Amino acid sequence: MGETNELKELQNDTQTASSEREAQKGKYMTFKSGNEYFGLKIQYVNEIIQYQPITAVPETEDYIKGLINLRGKVIPVIDVRLRFKQEPFEYNDRTCIIVISVKSTVVGLIVEKIAEVVEIKEENILPPPTIGRMDKIQQKYVYGIGKVGDKVKLLLDPDKLLNDEDLSIVEQSNETMIEEE
Amino acid sequence: MAEEFNTDGMLDMYLFENEQLLEQLQEIVLEQTDAGCFDEDSINEIFRTMHTIKGSSGIMMFDNITAVSHKLEDVFYYLRESHPENVPHLELVEHVLEVADFITNEMDKIKGGEPIDGDPSEIIAGLDKFLDVLKNGTAESGAEPPPENVHEEPKQFYIAPVATSASHFYKIYITFYPETEMANIHAYKTIYALKEVAEDLLYSPEDIISDEGSAETILKEGFRILLQSQSDEEEISKIIGVGYDIKQVDIFECKAEEFLQGFDFGSTGVQIDLDSSVEEIENKMQEVKEEAAKEEQPSVKPKAQMAPGDFVIKSKEPGKPKTLAKDKAKMEKASFISVNVSKMDQLMDLIGELVIAESVVLQNPDLKVPGLNLSSFNKAATQLSKISTDLQNVIMSMRMVPLANTFQKMNRIVFDVSRKLGKDIEFEMVGEQTEVDKNIIEHISDPLMHLVRNAVDHGIETNEERAESGKKEKGKVTLSARTEAGKVWISVEDNGKGLDREKIMNKARSQGLLDESKPESSYTDKEVYQFITLPGFSTNEQITEYSGRGVGMDVVVQNIQSIGGMLDIESTPGMGSIMNLKIPLTLAIIDGIVMETGNSSFVLETGMIKEFVSVNEEMMIHEPNGEEYVMIRGECYPVVRLGRRFEMKEYQESVENGMMLILEIEGKKVCLFVDRLIGEQEIVVKPIPSYIKKVKGLSGCTQLGDGSIALILDPGGLIE
Repeated sequence: MGETNELKELQNDTQTASSEREAQKGKYMTFKSGNEYFGLKIQYVNEIIQYQPITAVPETEDYIKGLINLRGKVIPVIDVRLRFKQEPFEYNDRTCIIVISVKSTVVGLIVEKIAEVVEIKEENILPPPTIGRMDKIQQKYVYGIGKVGDKVKLLLDPDKLLNDEDLSIVEQSNETMIEEE
Repeated sequence: MAEEFNTDGMLDMYLFENEQLLEQLQEIVLEQTDAGCFDEDSINEIFRTMHTIKGSSGIMMFDNITAVSHKLEDVFYYLRESHPENVPHLELVEHVLEVADFITNEMDKIKGGEPIDGDPSEIIAGLDKFLDVLKNGTAESGAEPPPENVHEEPKQFYIAPVATSASHFYKIYITFYPETEMANIHAYKTIYALKEVAEDLLYSPEDIISDEGSAETILKEGFRILLQSQSDEEEISKIIGVGYDIKQVDIFECKAEEFLQGFDFGSTGVQIDLDSSVEEIENKMQEVKEEAAKEEQPSVKPKAQMAPGDFVIKSKEPGKPKTLAKDKAKMEKASFISVNVSKMDQLMDLIGELVIAESVVLQNPDLKVPGLNLSSFNKAATQLSKISTDLQNVIMSMRMVPLANTFQKMNRIVFDVSRKLGKDIEFEMVGEQTEVDKNIIEHISDPLMHLVRNAVDHGIETNEERAESGKKEKGKVTLSARTEAGKVWISVEDNGKGLDREKIMNKARSQGLLDESKPESSYTDKEVYQFITLPGFSTNEQITEYSGRGVGMDVVVQNIQSIGGMLDIESTPGMGSIMNLKIPLTLAIIDGIVMETGNSSFVLETGMIKEFVSVNEEMMIHEPNGEEYVMIRGECYPVVRLGRRFEMKEYQESVENGMMLILEIEGKKVCLFVDRLIGEQEIVVKPIPSYIKKVKGLSGCTQLGDGSIALILDPGGLIE
């Protein structure tokens, strides 16, 4: 009996999860960084929190700003502008941190300004142009360009945003963590 | 039918219980290796342990374990019943350990999901042979060989327990439906259930697990149980429960005397009433004597005319220790529960967060508004702090485990290795009740094993060498543990030949480990002994089975360092050596000093810090290559500036405005320069998220009272 109940619950769970996914489909969280607007698939976004003091970790890349305390969980935060090799900007109390979770890695993204949640249909997403105004580095994180009305949003691949070039480093540090445990 | 059981939960329980039983078993056995023979309690205990393992393995259908444990049970049954003399004790010990090893091995296979394919036939053959020797040996000495391990009812004679407790005695007949398959397993199930309430329990047929023929007997004659219990009839019938297998249960309450007669249920049995006169007893005894001269007889007042050969007067009544031991087992059952470690960890995490949340509340900036009347708030706050501190202490103590089990394993190693090497070695344990965090125990078991093995193999000389050097006392390995200043000290001490400084120096020279600019004589003994902890360093010319391959000491040191401990070696040539391990009590919550450099907060374990010193520029010595030293009270320490070390942006440059911390790291003293001290705090250690690559000199992070994050410094990494 217990098992069947559990099974049912599981089914319910997956159902609600899938209906949620249905609702989230095509929705993007957009934010401004530099002069561009970027979009992140909403299912990656855990929450948006206010800027809070960050503890810097020495000897890390400059875009990794450090650690914050998210209700007892310690998570790293990165500055998206610095990640895109753009000019740094001053943080103020309106600065927000988007907490995203990619493959069970939880990371906070410091962004200049949060815009809105928009729905972009599949047919309005174009592959990134090979020659454009964006420089090369930026392009790697952008997997598509979404049209919303007469504006465009650069759609980000969060996996690449977090890892990509420093993938090897992350892997190494993961390994050492495992070894330590 | 049995195949349909979901055995997952049972399997866990089976493994867990048997592991504990085997540990106890080894403990008993090794305690008495030097005694020359087992005392009666131990024989009973080993017998019972084997019986339990046999039973549960039978249910789980691990036939080879059942077979082996059955054989060993036979041997101890023989020992228990016939008290043979001249038992080759060490041989017996080896047999027991062999069986224990075999079972442990098989259980490991079960755990790993491998098929259990160990072949018990060799062990069984060995035990058979041993048993034969025992029997023949005793036959020569005139005693009668006891019957095989079939519990004959008349064997159970008890002195009537004084009926002070509210125990009831029951005779229970269980009739199974004739079509029930494997009735013996069903019967065992019942027995197992009854054990929960039983103070004493006998059943017939006795050998229901390993003897499949008993199923038939049970079906034909019914299953009979004698039970002593506090429970009333109703409760018992509920426990047994008439079900699809059990057709009928008859429970009769009976008197203690009847109970003691065993299964004869009054037909042929002899009642021995403690209140009856001596003559009566004598008469009865006479009857018994005629009936079965070889039966044992507890006698209240044996008269001279009774030939001693006819009645064995035991020092202890067989009934009593059994009941006592059972009571003990029951108590343990009631006072221990096993909890999944991950749940404990979760609880630990939550409490850690609670402690932090508490300080967030109590140090909330909102409270600092001037003019607030906080007297009742402060009262409540004090109460809250007290409770949370207690809570923290309780959870910490829950994770604390005595070192006794780990030490016991070492006992086994000393026994094995010393016998194989032909060395006569005594093993002593001191302070094995010292408690250490469970996580840490897991980490020190292997290093300890290695150190003990080394002590036995390298440390202690062979018997001949000892005789030559005129050492009178036996070789001795002492394993001791004590708590001191929030650390646990474990030392492995031997009274062997000690470390050979010359040999180590030669080896170090040949491996190019010596600093050429330094005269060899200026190496302190401690420095020299540290060489043996380097990889690939072994001074033993002969590689033995146990040690000398040069892997090991470095691994030992690594393992110990990984949990924040250290190894210290002392040795006196000709007198022996001492390996001191200093390890933290726990990994999860540490006492730390919070300090600031630049914009970041750092935490350093309190125990690492020897001293705080304010220095001025005159005390500093600057080398042209950028290195700095500081002279404090005539001693010169190297200086590490935290800000510079981590290439931080804004930090205190002037030594007069900052603070020097004298740290002791692996025996070296180093000064760490930080901007300012904040305070002392208990901190909950958390790992740095793996997304951030590992930084040398940082070992983790923690939350401070205001909710911000501080980085925990790893001094070892700082000076690398």
